[in-house]
Amino acid sequence: MEHHPATLSAQDTSNRKADGGANQAIALAFDRVGMQFPDGTLALEDVTLHIKQGEFVSVVGPSGCGKSTLLKIASGLIPQTSGTVTVDRNNLGYTFQDATLLPWRKVLGNVELLMELRGYSPEERRRIAQEQIDLVGLSGFENHYPKRLSGGMKMRASLARSLALNPSVFMFDEPFGALDEITRERLNDELIDLYVRKGFTGLFITHSIPEAVYMSSKVIVMSRRPGRILKVYDIPFDFPRSPELRYDAAFSALCGEISVSLRQAIEG
Amino acid sequence: MTNTTRMTGQIYQPVPLPRPQGPLTRMIVKVLPPLVVAALLLFLYAWIRSNLEQHRLFLMPSAFELWDNAFSKSDVWAELGSRSAVTISIALSGLAISIPLGMLTGLVMYRYYILERGLLPNIVALQAIPMLAIIPLIQTALGFGFLPKVLIVAKMTYFAIPMTFLLGLKSVDRGALDLFKLQNASWRTTLWKCALPSAAPALFAGLRISASMAVVGAIVSELFFLAGKGGLGQMIINSKIDFKYEQMYAALIASTVLSVSVYLFFSWLGNYLFSEWHESGGKQG
Repeated sequence: MEHHPATLSAQDTSNRKADGGANQAIALAFDRVGMQFPDGTLALEDVTLHIKQGEFVSVVGPSGCGKSTLLKIASGLIPQTSGTVTVDRNNLGYTFQDATLLPWRKVLGNVELLMELRGYSPEERRRIAQEQIDLVGLSGFENHYPKRLSGGMKMRASLARSLALNPSVFMFDEPFGALDEITRERLNDELIDLYVRKGFTGLFITHSIPEAVYMSSKVIVMSRRPGRILKVYDIPFDFPRSPELRYDAAFSALCGEISVSLRQAIEG
Repeated sequence: MTNTTRMTGQIYQPVPLPRPQGPLTRMIVKVLPPLVVAALLLFLYAWIRSNLEQHRLFLMPSAFELWDNAFSKSDVWAELGSRSAVTISIALSGLAISIPLGMLTGLVMYRYYILERGLLPNIVALQAIPMLAIIPLIQTALGFGFLPKVLIVAKMTYFAIPMTFLLGLKSVDRGALDLFKLQNASWRTTLWKCALPSAAPALFAGLRISASMAVVGAIVSELFFLAGKGGLGQMIINSKIDFKYEQMYAALIASTVLSVSVYLFFSWLGNYLFSEWHESGGKQG
């Protein structure tokens, strides 16, 4: 059990269950969200998506369809040009395509960073950071600079940094895209494990259909630009998921189905 | 047929060529090449000297003459010491003005685009003014004291600092900035914890350029200010007037040593601060 003394609702958060959305509260809602960039590019059009607390939703779509833009809008990094987004941004986790570790800070300092910005006390920072480092399997690397870590380890440190704030909504912008397949599958399993343990709500952007199906309780297929939601697939497999699921016939069939609709999306 | 064999027999050579391995070889490879090149330069000097006409030999003193007329004399050493102190104090005072001022301009140009547009072309123009051409003007305006020389050094060492600092600040990782933005971090926090450390290696590249210019600037400034007890630049002019070319060479050597020392200090400081984490640093893997 992960207890988080900094949040008043520590007991609640640690008891959040990953139940595929049985809990009815909406954690993140897009209502008719549109995005037009100043150069006139229409990136998103009329996106309506309600994500329930405890759901893990993946978004796949052709490159350049506005998946990342959707995430940036959800997190508040950029404002949408139309529609509304409802989410509690005080307790938000976000991982980028790169690990975005500060190269002049050691692993421990990087994991402490967000807590530092939030004004946690040094002792508290140290303790929580150590917990997260142990959790993502980086024990023993606390005093390593990022340049001495592998790509997978950097991503683990990046996850630990976000986890330290015990986010209730966690957004992932193609976090494992740059990793090799073996590392990627391992990190998928580790992230599912974290999701089951901590029970956050997940919004996951990826290029990989198997990754999306494997990780998620729901997969969204977006159209090519301007991005709209084409199809929503409920993923029926129970959490926690075992690596064998990847070779399951039903799993492959579902991946195939999503693959076909993604191809239709690309061809318009 | 022979062509094919030659192609397959060729060993791929990476660019740049790999460094030799082994501690002893590494040591030799590090120390020997600069000594060999220095020796070649000395040979070149000796060769030119041997071809010089008799009445022009004073222009290039031999090692013996240097020793007899300069480096064996304690009063020359004393003069070199006191004049080096003057030169270095001018150089460092100039840097003490140009470094904070340069950093400040780099910073405000990063913060306010309108100031970047306003300042940057003018900083380039300022750099384009030939230094020697405005020294007479500086003399007329400010006299012959310490201050005008310091200002000349400051002007000569200023340019590289805002340029490299601005480049460093603009190269800060977008993702890292977003990370701070997501936590609603203030501009000042983002600057201290993200932009400044990120820009520091680039800034130090600029500091090294400026540092190597500082002593040169101090000596150039002294060449035009001969009143009072000056530094090495004044010694160079005085030795020429007194026809003591060995002492002039001694002053030249001393100023080179000073210049290189200031450069090495900033290199060492940069390496000390960044080698552990920066990609350019020595410790790999």
